[in-house]
Amino acid sequence: MKKTLGYIALFIGLIAFAYPFVWMVLATFKPEVEIGSLAPFPSVWSLDSYRMVFETIPIGRAFLNSLIVVASVTCSVLFFGTTTAYALAKLKWKGRETAFNIILFTMMVPFMVMLIPLYTLVVSLGWTDSLIGLIVPFMMNATAILILRQSFLTLPTDILEAARIDGCSEWRILFTIVWPLSIPAIVTAGILVFIGSWNEVLWPMMVIRQEEWMTMPQMVALFSVGGGAQSKLGPQLAAAVLLGIPIVVAYLYFQKHFISSLASTGLKG
Amino acid sequence: MNWKRSKSNGSGAGLGQRIGYVMAAPYFVHLAIFFGYPLLFAMVLVFHRWDIVTPMEFVGLKNFTRLFHDDLFFRALLNTGLFLVIHIPLQIFVSLFFAELLNSKLKGRSFFRTIYFLPVVVSGVVIAILFQQLFAFETGYINSVLSALGGERIPWLVSPEWAMPTIALMATWKNVGFYIILFLVGLQNIPASMYEVAFLEGATTWQRWTRVTIPLLNPMMVTVVVLSTIGGFSLFIEPYILTGGGPLNSTLTALLYIYNQAFYFGHMGYAAALGLFFALIILIVVLLQRRFVEEDIY
Amino acid sequence: MFKRSKIVFWSVVAVAFMGCGPNSDSGSASDDIVQLTYWSSQNPQERLLATRLVDAWNLSHPNIQVTVQPLPAGQSSEEVLLAAVAAGTTPDLCSNIWPGVVSAFIKAGGVLALDSFADFDSLLQSRVPPTLHDRFKAEDGHFYQLPWKSNPILMQYNVRLFEEAGFATPPRTYSEFLTAAERISKDLNGDGRFDRWIGYRNIQPIWHERFFDYYSFYLGGTHGSPLFENGEVAIDTLTSNAVFEFFGELYRRNFFPKTKFQGNAFVSEQIATEFVGPWNIAWLQENAPPDLEYAYAPLPVPDGLQGDVHTYGDYKNITIFSNTKYPKETWAFAKYLVSKDADLLLLELATQIPIRRNLTHDSLFTAFFLENPKLIPFADQVPLTTGVEGVPGFAELLDAIAQQFEAASVYGIRSPSEATRRAIARIRVIQEWNK
Repeated sequence: MKKTLGYIALFIGLIAFAYPFVWMVLATFKPEVEIGSLAPFPSVWSLDSYRMVFETIPIGRAFLNSLIVVASVTCSVLFFGTTTAYALAKLKWKGRETAFNIILFTMMVPFMVMLIPLYTLVVSLGWTDSLIGLIVPFMMNATAILILRQSFLTLPTDILEAARIDGCSEWRILFTIVWPLSIPAIVTAGILVFIGSWNEVLWPMMVIRQEEWMTMPQMVALFSVGGGAQSKLGPQLAAAVLLGIPIVVAYLYFQKHFISSLASTGLKG
Repeated sequence: MNWKRSKSNGSGAGLGQRIGYVMAAPYFVHLAIFFGYPLLFAMVLVFHRWDIVTPMEFVGLKNFTRLFHDDLFFRALLNTGLFLVIHIPLQIFVSLFFAELLNSKLKGRSFFRTIYFLPVVVSGVVIAILFQQLFAFETGYINSVLSALGGERIPWLVSPEWAMPTIALMATWKNVGFYIILFLVGLQNIPASMYEVAFLEGATTWQRWTRVTIPLLNPMMVTVVVLSTIGGFSLFIEPYILTGGGPLNSTLTALLYIYNQAFYFGHMGYAAALGLFFALIILIVVLLQRRFVEEDIY
Repeated sequence: MFKRSKIVFWSVVAVAFMGCGPNSDSGSASDDIVQLTYWSSQNPQERLLATRLVDAWNLSHPNIQVTVQPLPAGQSSEEVLLAAVAAGTTPDLCSNIWPGVVSAFIKAGGVLALDSFADFDSLLQSRVPPTLHDRFKAEDGHFYQLPWKSNPILMQYNVRLFEEAGFATPPRTYSEFLTAAERISKDLNGDGRFDRWIGYRNIQPIWHERFFDYYSFYLGGTHGSPLFENGEVAIDTLTSNAVFEFFGELYRRNFFPKTKFQGNAFVSEQIATEFVGPWNIAWLQENAPPDLEYAYAPLPVPDGLQGDVHTYGDYKNITIFSNTKYPKETWAFAKYLVSKDADLLLLELATQIPIRRNLTHDSLFTAFFLENPKLIPFADQVPLTTGVEGVPGFAELLDAIAQQFEAASVYGIRSPSEATRRAIARIRVIQEWNK
């Protein structure tokens, strides 16, 4: 009895969280006039919505741009994030606590406050209309450092101490001992950064004006909200589906790793 | 590096002084350039009038006097507060409910967990495009279903009373998967022995919940509250796309108002003043929340 | 594994850097070939137009090669342009300049005075109707914008729906419009609610949406006299009240739905009228079913108002940015963009109205208008349009009105006269703040 109720609740959740996406995907195959109707399946399966997206915007190029940006940002955040987190967690130096508090403080300031000054900075560096402008300002990430630091703190100091006595440099300790022991935290931080970076819209909207450097979310947003989709719903939804696919695929691929890593990282409380 | 000399100091206390700086340096150099400089710039900006295009003009404290007379900004702060008041309890309730379900021995748990997390992954742009259609008043899918079932249409986004709760509902839907997992982690960290003791003492399900689960979940609860508060304060893209701040300013959030002042009306200095003031409020709220933490959540 | 990810990282970075260094090609090409960058509007019709024009130009001018880029439109393209002017990343010229933004460009020194070119005056005299000359003159007496196109806002209506309801001609006044609304707004599926409406407006309180309702209707009710005179608010209270009341009644009686349509409600015949510019014709030609019969008429005016009906004209002009290295060549290209052939192409591909004297009487264009009679009302309307007012911070001031439009008209929580009073008061406060 209790079990049945449990399943009913889980299925209600399933419908609530998944059905909107199912509806959206099915709608992209419907002829424009049928999208508002309640029938779940199209009367005729049509690829017109997707055809229009591909004919109107260079979405393949945008995908590539997004990929480059997201990969660079994620790798850099993880590399520098682990070095910083290691220094904060396992090395002793003057000002360490202050440094950590500064990192906490940066998380409190809304991005909107920084937006204009950061934009003028990027402009004066000549980074508009280039992927550098999308990558460099986001090469470091405070949240990632928090997660990594938390995980590093739980590592037993004896192992590191033993390695030091064996003559290992701190760099070697970090890369050969700490990294392999912290895979869950690294994966968690990596996925969170990846999702955030993939979905960023506001910043590319400001920095990129040439179509050839636009990222995928930016291009889809402009296509849907701006005039590109010609206020047709089908292509708007199709563009949205195309934008969603890569991240969903990536998530499904990593999710086993991801969820079990979340379970064993610094988010333990 | 010179670890040998460090070792000769005896303990590990002095160890890694230099290498610590070296390893942390890239982050802080980056921080100085891409956080410190813009923040300083914003501090300068608050005393100026600037529309990006024409040169800055010093106006002293004028932006702040304007701020304290700007009813619309305080309305926006109030709206943001209202959003948090609806969003956070709803989020905690829903995510705890599903976390508890997923923590039991039901089959297919990992499948459900995966699906519940989907909205977290998908871009806000996708979700806004989707919800604009689903929640439209006359032509939207949800209202069509409601009226086909003989119910009343709900003015989701077009009535001042409903709009903010609707947006809170969407934001909850989008984020709840993340918090389900956090709570799931928290639940799994509660030792089974605690439940066994409760069971032996003949505790009811409700007692087990209130006496074991909730107290032991407290640290995670605090994490969830702090994270969703920070997230909730930055509510922007949903009202920006779905309502433009209407109806009757009921979904005008602080960040949306700051954005409008900066980009629609070209008041960069004023927007910077609003932003700093807003950052201060966030800081105070989060610090107050953290007072309830027994141990440092980070 | 870590090594691999590091390699991936650096190779990705390398690719990124190689791919996107600053544009170094502008100076490095051989000296006698001039490279110009031109920003066009981003909708598909105008992009096609720009591409066609530029291709033809590049063929006939091997020494002045133009690259066209669409100006990305967020919620407002002015935002993008202002940022570009501030950053000095403007192109050589842009053809989609909203006159309301030019004064800011001038203040920033971002645009060239076009009357510095010797033949500007003669071009202006021959192209632009004399009544419009002063409108494009800046405060300092110079001209910074080359008048390109004007898109008057008219009422588009579904001919069949009006005929079925017994109307042979479109409504001319507010009460005629309301009578039509009573008969055309209908509950077709019998659920007790309208599912066809007389019209629809985007109800989001966004200032530029108000160009298509309050602002156009206000100009219609005042014979085109603007909201501001010499920078001071000069709102005609009675007309403003009447406009608020007119839309208020439409929303109160559900003749206008409070919804956001996805897809085009006019094409699906869910709405019978729409207030639009001529660009909509190109869109309908491409997307509407062939049996959809539609026509254009002036906007309804307050009952008893005599004389010509004015409306808002969405002007878009050409400016040359002062960071161009080749003003002379850019000017030559700008003149090409307003040549007769280019104007004809603008009509054909984008169905937008070039600003040109005697447009409907010029032999080159008469054939086009004969074939496309739907555009004639727009062309005829051009002399009776008011563009954007030369008051600083117009967006913010119109936003004050948008707030009241929402309160008084859409939600009816405030009387029209109270709404007008509050709008004026708020505008004064904003102007005081911005002094």
